[in-house]
Amino acid sequence: MFDSHIIFQVVLISLIGGIIGLDRTAAGQFMISQPIVAGPLTGWVLGDAHAGFVIGAVLELIWVLDMPIGTFVPADATIAAVSATALASLGGRAPAPLSVLGFCVLLSIGTAPLTMFADSLIRKRNARLAVFAVAGPGEDAITKLSRAHLSGLVMFFFKSFLLYLIILPTGLVALRLFGFLPEKIHSAMALFVKVLPVLGAALMLRKLSTAYLDRFLLIGLVIVALSEVSVKAPAYLYVLPAIVAGWIGVKFIEKRAS
Amino acid sequence: MQSLGFAYAMSPILKKLYPDEEERAARLRVHMEYFNTQPYFASFVLGAAVKLEKERASGRNVLADISGLKATLAPSLGALGDSFFWGALKPLASILAVAMLMVGAWWAPILFLVFYNIIHVGFRAELLLFGYFSGGDVVSFMTRHNVTKNARLIKALALAGIGGFLGMAPLWLTDFSLLGRLSYLLQIVTVVLATWALVALLRKGVSPIKMMLGLTAACIALSYIGVV
Repeated sequence: MFDSHIIFQVVLISLIGGIIGLDRTAAGQFMISQPIVAGPLTGWVLGDAHAGFVIGAVLELIWVLDMPIGTFVPADATIAAVSATALASLGGRAPAPLSVLGFCVLLSIGTAPLTMFADSLIRKRNARLAVFAVAGPGEDAITKLSRAHLSGLVMFFFKSFLLYLIILPTGLVALRLFGFLPEKIHSAMALFVKVLPVLGAALMLRKLSTAYLDRFLLIGLVIVALSEVSVKAPAYLYVLPAIVAGWIGVKFIEKRAS
Repeated sequence: MQSLGFAYAMSPILKKLYPDEEERAARLRVHMEYFNTQPYFASFVLGAAVKLEKERASGRNVLADISGLKATLAPSLGALGDSFFWGALKPLASILAVAMLMVGAWWAPILFLVFYNIIHVGFRAELLLFGYFSGGDVVSFMTRHNVTKNARLIKALALAGIGGFLGMAPLWLTDFSLLGRLSYLLQIVTVVLATWALVALLRKGVSPIKMMLGLTAACIALSYIGVV
């Protein structure tokens, strides 16, 4: 199971995942760490982009509104997406079947407590960097500051890197054991992937829903349903009428209120 | 948490303004004081701090209370930024991209990045310049951009996007669809009702992780019953 090829890919994904993970809070925040980007990127590197797209899509909606507000540390959705995709890609044939994708998503949920703990630990450690950043007599203040600041980045990288080195081999063993489970369990995991988008929508609704905003959900639903039956267009374009209708609805309400 | 990053961002201008090492070190220590706000909106505070440091170094405003300015701006800008970017723009970009991805647009992640970052980077640049030229006049900034109103608009679009996403259920790829045998309208109704049921459970305080574990159990039960 752990031949040199797999070991190389585990280390490679740990490195890539560690770098992508910096985008989460430590540097940039250009959203390449979001599951919808990190998943497909991981899948593409490992030769199973389809796994990345499916996993990225389902995890994106589930974790998008888990926000790092103030001192709250959410679960690491990047590690969840990258590790789930990597496990699916490394664990067997490509493209990985839906049951494997479902099981890998389930495994990634198990990483949540571990990643939250690791994140809290690193943040506590980095909070002490301010002491090391203060220059003593004869020391260049900017150089001291730069070293302390950049060491924080390095710690964030190593946190993710080490987590992947733990999660990926453990996950591959679990995936191997999954192969021995009855076919009914495999069917259940395939079904699990299909219900996750609905859960993702529910999670988003739970956090965004207010008395004022709920009407826009209905507007979007009705407009898209009507568009689908009345206009022939590429499927991906049907979400746009919902946005346009939402925009018109907001402007109409504002005009009535003013 | 962000204090070192703020001081690091200020270090090039402080190096330029304060050739004396001791004075430079003292100014750096000021910027290493506690600072925490939404990361993109930190650009506004950064611009204002640069302006005040320049005035202070040139003698035009030696009593400039930069620490006080940072302490005043950080919490309010943090709340604004969290509401606008994390609470509105990111969900909108996500739901649009996922809605397109689930019907086969594999380039949707790229669209997500382009859409989000055009707004994000543009905003960051403007915040930096506005902070600099206004000297931290957050009232003018709020009046000009009306961030709260725009956040509510974008949240409305995100809700509409979720509605559209659910309405597109009959078009989802087979990887995501299990209602293909039902009629078009029944598929949409089923997905909406299922979403509503899950929202009701979430409102009762069930955590997302417990929800996922519960769904796993339900899927296993359905599989053994023979429904799927």
